[in-house]
Amino acid sequence: MNRFKAWIKTITFYEILVGMMATMRHLLNYKPITLQYPHEKRTLPDSYRGMLALLRYDDGTEKCVGCDLCEAACPSRVIRVVSAEVPGEPTKRFAKEYYMDMTRCLFCGLCVDACPVDALGMTREYEWAVYDKRHLHLNKEQLLAIGDRSYPVREKRLEFQHPNVAFFNVAFKNLPPKES
Amino acid sequence: MAELAIRMAFSLAQIAVVMGIIMLTIMVLTLAERKVLGWMQDRMGPMEVGPYGILQPIADGLKLFFKEDIVPAGANRFLFSLAPILALVPALIGFAVIPFGPDSTVELFGIQFKPFIISDINIGILYILAFTSIGAYGIILGGWASNSKYSLLGGLRAAAQVISYELNVGLAIVGVLLLAGSLSLVKITQAQAGWFWNWYIFAPPFPQLLAFVVYVISAVAETNRVPFDLPEAESELVAGFFTEYSGMRFAFFFIAEYGNMILVSCIAAALFLGGWNAPYPGTALARLGFAQFAWAENVVWFAAKVYFFLFLFFWLRATLPRLRYDQLMRFGWKVMLPIALGNILVTAIAAYLFPRG
Repeated sequence: MNRFKAWIKTITFYEILVGMMATMRHLLNYKPITLQYPHEKRTLPDSYRGMLALLRYDDGTEKCVGCDLCEAACPSRVIRVVSAEVPGEPTKRFAKEYYMDMTRCLFCGLCVDACPVDALGMTREYEWAVYDKRHLHLNKEQLLAIGDRSYPVREKRLEFQHPNVAFFNVAFKNLPPKES
Repeated sequence: MAELAIRMAFSLAQIAVVMGIIMLTIMVLTLAERKVLGWMQDRMGPMEVGPYGILQPIADGLKLFFKEDIVPAGANRFLFSLAPILALVPALIGFAVIPFGPDSTVELFGIQFKPFIISDINIGILYILAFTSIGAYGIILGGWASNSKYSLLGGLRAAAQVISYELNVGLAIVGVLLLAGSLSLVKITQAQAGWFWNWYIFAPPFPQLLAFVVYVISAVAETNRVPFDLPEAESELVAGFFTEYSGMRFAFFFIAEYGNMILVSCIAAALFLGGWNAPYPGTALARLGFAQFAWAENVVWFAAKVYFFLFLFFWLRATLPRLRYDQLMRFGWKVMLPIALGNILVTAIAAYLFPRG
């Protein structure tokens, strides 16, 4: 009996008809899941990890202290930091040059985690298709510019944030006056 | 002499109109296929060019027109150029014998014309079968002349597939020919006038339902459409026989494929579904007193049947995966061919015992 049923199903193209009904059902109650990308964009999750950026303090100075920890943390060796002393302030260092090769970046966020001064941030930018891949080799000015447009609210300098916060990399002459 | 000139001019005008409509239909089909396929797969299809993407065929045509015409190194230049034409011409030439509307005559300059029938030759269906066979040469030669292994494999597959399934197309049609007693598409269509049970798919003494199923399946295979698109299987053969083609030559193959689709749909409509005949006797417009516009209703019925088949092509494409090559061959030779032969046998006996009219 089962074999007879199977035979009937075969000669009437039962399975094919079931499949065709499925496609027809989708045609009749047409609910596309397509997002018309350049015209409409999906809402990003809160923890979205997009383009990397270098940040500044609220007085416009760079946060980066040139410690190279991000370079050490990066699994795909995206970052290259050339650290230098601030001229005239022997205890203070900064990144003289800072390069990111975004062609290799895998957006893991380890550099952001590694940064001791929160100088790196991940923005919500993702439309970074370029015609020349050399344009993805970013220098410090470009990274700072990305940070400027993505982080409009800047932090105060560490030493001004809270009286009990530990800070370093500050020239002694810039120390804030102690509140007595 | 003057009569000949008028007849020539009228025929040329008919050919121009039919070619224009076919090309327009092909343009619509390229868009409709992508749209229907998209809708069936919960996508949108082309949406960028024009409102809802309706200008996409024009953009595609312009793009193909301005593309570089590449002839691969080591290709046989003559056959490489000949193949697209050899594929396109048979696809379009078959429309010469398709009756698009009723065979009523109009009188122009004292000469009788049939406006919806370019030519009514008494071997119409044989003529179409012969020319679609030549279309296979275009595919095979295109595959061979490209000097590419993918093209060659696609061409070889096309050769085996088109030959196996053309046999089934021919045998499936024989049942209808036995009942109609004619090879002329006009006469076959006329014989199906009246109620829809006079259509050969339902017609007594022996309904040609099996032949219709065999014909539709074989027609899909013959036009190299999904699920029988082995000659251009993109997951195995890049693009099959037109891998190396670009620009207008590629467009020729493309137009040939869609032209063949329309042609087999027209044949299916004319042979099995009563061609221009409405499902009821006569036409509604004639009964309402607009007998001079009855042709419009007939043409609309024909177009509706053809578009039903064209939609069926898209529907199948959205639903079914591609057959394996041995499955294709086994299905063609061990299933379709015996059914078609058995159908001929039964139809012949039925037509002998119960001759119609």
